[in-house]
Parts: sequence; structure tokens; C-alpha cells
Amino acid sequence: MASIDLEKMLVKIKESQWALADIDWDAPGAERITPEQWPKLKAFMADLMWIEHVGARGFAAMAKKAPDDTLREIYTYFHAEEQRHANAEMALMKRWGMLEDGEALPEPNINLRLVIEWLDRYADKMPLYVLGAVIPMLEIALDGALCKFLLDTVDDPVCHEAFEKINGDESRHLGVGFSVMEMTGYNKSFIKVMQMVLPLVDPRLLLGIAAYMPLLNKMRDNIVEMGLSEQKLYEVMNKFERIGGRTADGRRNPWFQIIKHHARLVVDRGNKIYHVPVDAAVKITGLIPARLLPAVPSWVHELTWKPTA
Amino acid sequence: MSKRKPSRVHDTLIIGAGFGGLGAAIRLQQSGHQDFIILERSDRVGGTWRDNQYPGAACDIPSNLYSFSFAPNPDWSRTYSGAGEIFGYIKGLVEQFKLGPALRYQQDVTGLRFVEEQGYWEATTAAGDCWRARAVVMAAGGLANPGWPNINGRESFAGKVMHSARWDHDYDFSGKKVAVIGTGASAIQIVPELVKQAGQVKVFQRTAPWVLPRMDYASPDWARKLFAKAPRSQQLVRDALFWTHESVALAVIWNSPLTRVTERVASAHLARQVKDGWLRRQLTPHYTIGCKRVLISNDYYPALQQPNCKLITWPIDCINERGIRTAEGIEHQFDCIVFATGFDVQKTGTPFPVQGLGGRELAEEWQGGAQAYKSVNVSGYPNLHIIFGPNSGPGHNSALVYMEAQIDYAVQGIEALLRGDHAYLDVIPAVQTQHNLELQKRLARTNWNSGCKSWYLTADGFNATMYPGFATQYAQQLARFELADYRAVDRAAPAARRAAG
Repeated sequence: MASIDLEKMLVKIKESQWALADIDWDAPGAERITPEQWPKLKAFMADLMWIEHVGARGFAAMAKKAPDDTLREIYTYFHAEEQRHANAEMALMKRWGMLEDGEALPEPNINLRLVIEWLDRYADKMPLYVLGAVIPMLEIALDGALCKFLLDTVDDPVCHEAFEKINGDESRHLGVGFSVMEMTGYNKSFIKVMQMVLPLVDPRLLLGIAAYMPLLNKMRDNIVEMGLSEQKLYEVMNKFERIGGRTADGRRNPWFQIIKHHARLVVDRGNKIYHVPVDAAVKITGLIPARLLPAVPSWVHELTWKPTA
Repeated sequence: MSKRKPSRVHDTLIIGAGFGGLGAAIRLQQSGHQDFIILERSDRVGGTWRDNQYPGAACDIPSNLYSFSFAPNPDWSRTYSGAGEIFGYIKGLVEQFKLGPALRYQQDVTGLRFVEEQGYWEATTAAGDCWRARAVVMAAGGLANPGWPNINGRESFAGKVMHSARWDHDYDFSGKKVAVIGTGASAIQIVPELVKQAGQVKVFQRTAPWVLPRMDYASPDWARKLFAKAPRSQQLVRDALFWTHESVALAVIWNSPLTRVTERVASAHLARQVKDGWLRRQLTPHYTIGCKRVLISNDYYPALQQPNCKLITWPIDCINERGIRTAEGIEHQFDCIVFATGFDVQKTGTPFPVQGLGGRELAEEWQGGAQAYKSVNVSGYPNLHIIFGPNSGPGHNSALVYMEAQIDYAVQGIEALLRGDHAYLDVIPAVQTQHNLELQKRLARTNWNSGCKSWYLTADGFNATMYPGFATQYAQQLARFELADYRAVDRAAPAARRAAG
């Protein structure tokens, strides 16, 4: 059973809405970004805003799969909120002079691009329990970790103001995420557990895994390049195991177990069997020319740094 | 309190001069009953079709079926006529059946009370008048009052605000930034017209509707001539349309293989008209077709893809003085907000206080959801006949077919009352209870009660609006007014009446 009251959560979500217009994007502080930070931060922010959108697209798919209206509405809000985070991060990039011509979207790295492509093609066809375990992991490992690192390095008060709001949203996303993971693991018999694991042989999901694994390693490399501690990323990833496994229902969810074991592999840098091929995949995917990828889905053009429209 | 002397006790009082009220007047007249008065709150007849004159307003049922069988019109200009033409037809009924003398305009009823001792109903109006009659036909209209959504800050918007049911024809949309809230039956008619006029249109969708193609054609001259010369030919067309729509019940009321077929047709219509995958996804409903009202349109999807139009599916956070803030964090600014958010449909109350036997209040009894006997009569409220009362809504056929059945049933009831010279005829409570038990049992198996939220249901999910069956079945149950289902109280015996009560 869900450990949080989803009805109350929906009310809380509605009461906690904020808009880009609530933040003064021209307030002083932008000058605190150092010239040394600037290029790395630019790449980092571009990835970050696209990661928000990986979550957004995941939530959009979950809204379609939601078993009831309340959860559907919650996921519809989460989808919009992730887009809001991406918009806010673009507004920060605009503030820091990181958008090429003032209008253009930042380019996502190739691994993100592949994940976005997969999400757009197959996410709507994935069962709720698969997405319901993967999305919290991505939120913790990437979104959560990256936000934390950003606040440790960037001194701009507007950035802190925006992320205070973003982190407020994210904590609700994780609360619901873990609750749903427990809900989908609730009282499952062995047969049900096996049925839940079955999608693992679905080629569409295998493609997703093939996109997901290099993404994690790629982001790890990016974080290291920014001069941040890799260990911190792993500490955050361990949170998934700690929180997701706090109840018997959560532990009974086979997808929690799968993601947890995968996370253990990711944080174990000594495991060559895992990391050598995945790192190679990062390198190989990096060679894919952009022109070979299909056109970006039209939702990409919904993103904007402008507070009003 | 009434300012003027109450009227004499008429035989019948009709409340509302829309389709229902005028239809009842015509059928009473045709049955030889002339002593009726029609109270109309506005200064014109027409009801819903007088109030809903927004651009693009039209009927979703072919005009030959969406008109009274006892008042055929051979001159419909199209398969689906526009609101103006339907309004013209209703106005024409007044002239054709010489109803003018019975009409009392600007009589907005504020209360209705049954005076048990004397056995008549008393209606008070905002104008300070008091009208009395032995029987009442309440044709106040299910779709009479605009419904406003519950959005934070709705009142604070500083620009122009318009409701689809109260259109301001003087407002110039040229070059304006316009928001349309809602994607129901009105919205999908308004949007294509607004896109032609306004500078920019943003359509705020909460739930995607199922949209079927619209087979709308101009009526050929020969057909009009034929219908005028040989009315039987028009009746045949009407019958054909009726049975075609009846078959649709199998797809939209119950979940059947035909439901899947109809969903496929709607999906194919969407796929043909919308090429962009994401927009198509946004426009794909997540519920069984029929659960909410099925819409028909050929120009809604193309309009959404015009360069000056945009579909917004983000949840609305609030409205402020400049526009609408949505959950993706953007403030969408507008000159005008159009609320195409339907009507305040009475599912748990009444349009004005209705007091029955022993001072009982109908709104109080309907708090948990409205209930009636065959949707027309309510136990404890004798001689009161409601047009489009509880559980009388069609999902697949012409509302006027249902309405005609209700009117004829009411006329039979009024005839039984007058012929027997009863003080009143009141539905036996057990009969009404049994009727509703069966009704709700049948409703539980319909698509309307399959899980989606719609204006058919109360907040608790009680369906007080729709009839779970074919129009034929609905009309059949209303074909005969069974006196045995009613408690008849004699006019001459007030003491006995009290004892019986």
C-alpha cells in the first residue's frame, strides 16, 4: 500500500506551484560565475536541463499508465514541473549568457539524446512498475546529485533561489516515486513478481537499458570533469537502496531489486565486467553523428526560458 | 414577497420558453388544454439556443432529428444546422402554434411551492409576481446556466472574460491574444472560428475528448422541396436517422466490440488530421469512448495546427490579472479569456427552491444526487413534471426524442389530474425507489460509470444525469401514464387527504 496519502499529496502539489515570473532573473549575482567555471558550467547546465526533461517525459508516460485519476493528475503535474525545472535552468543559462542566440535550446549530449529518443518511442508502452522504479533512480542519481553539486559550486543567489524551489518539487516527486514503488510491490506473490520481471525480455526495454547504462556512466564522467567528487554521486545513488528498501513492500518490488543491483554495479568502479563495456558504449555512442538521429520530438520546442508567453 | 395580486389558478404553469416549455405548450394545446401560462426569465424565447450563440455554435445531432416530430421543418439548410437557424426554428414555433398570448416574459422564477390545502402550485418571480396553477411543467433547462471552473484567481483577470453560453458579439477579436479554457462540445466549435479572427489562440485542455468526423452537408434544394410537398418523406429520413443513432448506443453506452470499432474510427480521424506525434498523443483520450460526451468535428484538429493556435495541456495553476499561469512555470498572457466550460448542470440541487408536500425541499432531498420517477415526477412533489429531470440524458440520440416522450408523459399526467378532478397525483415512494434501484444497477454497467470524471456524475460518482438504455426504451417506459403508480388525492376531501398524507 502507498505510504503517503496521494489525495493529500495532490492538494499539496497544487498549493506549491510557482512560476518563472516569481524569480527576478536580472537580480545581481550573475557576475559571481568565474570565467574558469563558465564553459564547464555551460555544458553541465545543458545536460541538467535535458535530464529534467528525461524525467518529464517519463512522468508523461506514467500519467498514461496511472491506475487512478489522482495518480494520473499527480504525474501530469510532475511532467509539467520537470518542464518548469528545465525552463528555469534555461533561464539561468540565459542569465549567465550561455544561450547562443538568446532563443536556441542548448544541445543535449548524445547519450541523453538517445535516452530521449527511446522515451519518446517506447516509454508510453512500458508498464507503470518499470517506469516507477527507473524514474526515482534517475531523479536521485542524476537530478538530485547534479543539483546538489551545482549549489556547492555556484555562488549566484538567483541560482540558489531557483533551486530551493526546484528541490522542493523534487522531494515531492521522490516521495510519490518511492510510495508508488511500494504500492506496485504490495503483497505480490511469486507469480506476480515473475510477471513483473517479464518485460526484461521485451526488446524495446532492452533498447532502453542500452541507452540508460551509458547515460549514467557519461554523467559520472561529466561530474568528474567538473571537478566534483564521484563518491558524492555514489552516496546519492545509495539513497535509492536505502529509501526504496525501507519497507517489505518496496523490497518485494522486483524492479526495485533490479535497479538496486544495477546501482551497486555502477558505484563499484572495480567491476571491470560492467564498466569496461559500458564505458566503451559511451565512447562508441559519442561517435554517432547528429545527422543520423531522427528529428527531435515537437515537445522539445515547448521549452522556454521566457517567464511569460 | 409578491408585489402584485396572485394570478387565478390556471390549469398548467410552464416554466421556461425553450424547446421543452414551448413543446409542452404545443402538446397541451393539441390535447385540447388551453389554460396554460409560460413563464420566461428573458425577454425572448429560445432557451439554450438563445443563450448559446457563440461563433460556430451548431447542433451535434442532424437537424431533421433535432426538431419536434409534431413540428417538422422542411427547410433545414444543412445536416447539422447552426445555432441561429435552430433559434429561428424555436421562434417560429411561437408563431406557428400561436403561443404568444400564453407567454410572460421577464418572469424569473425564484421559488415554487405546493399549497396542499388548495391543491395548487404557486410560483413567485423576481419581478414580484405570483402565479398559480394546478400542475407545473418545469422546463427550466439542464443547460441553462453557465458553468465556471474552480480556478484560483479567476475573478482577478483584468482583460475581457467571456463564457460560451453568454457570448459578447460586440467584442472584436482581431489581433487579440485569446485563451480558450475547455475542450468540450462548445470549445471545439468555437476554436476553429476564433482561429480565423484572433491574433493568437491558446486552447487549455484538461482531458482530451473523443472526436468523430462530422458528416455535414448543405441540404439540396430538391430535398427541401420534397420534404415540403411530401412530409412523409421527411419522416422517413427522420426514422432512418433515429435508428442509425440508436445503433450508436451499442458503442457509446456499453463497452462492446462496437466501442472498440468507434474508438478506431475516432483514432483514425485523429491520425489523418494530426501528423505530429506529440500533438496526437496529447489529443488521444485515456478513457473509454462514451464515458464523456463524444464530440463530432472536422475542423477542430486542423484549427489547433494553425500557426496562430496552440494546444496547452499543462495543468492551470491560477489566473491573475494578466493571464493564466500553468504548472510548467510560464505565465500565458491574454487580452481575452473564453470559458468554454459548459453548464452548471443540476445534479444535486434545483434552479430555484421547490417546496413540496409538508414543506419538504427538493434541493435538500437531492443533496446526494437527484432522483425522480421516470425522470419526470418526484414523490412528494405532486403534479410537478420536470423536463430533462434526473437520468433523462441521452448519450447517442437526439435530446428532442427524449424530450417529446417526457412532454407527452407530462401531458398525460395533467390530463389524468384534470379529468379525474383530483387535488393531486403523487408518485408512490416505493415505486420511485424501485425505479431508481433498477436504474442505478443498469447505470453501473455503462461507460459513463466506468471511471472517468464527467459532468454526468456528482463529485461522489453518482450518475443523476443519464438514462442507461436506448431512446426507444426510454420512450417506451413513458408511453403510458400508469395511474396505479400514483397516489390520487381527491379535491373534495381535504381532511381525508391530510389523513392519507
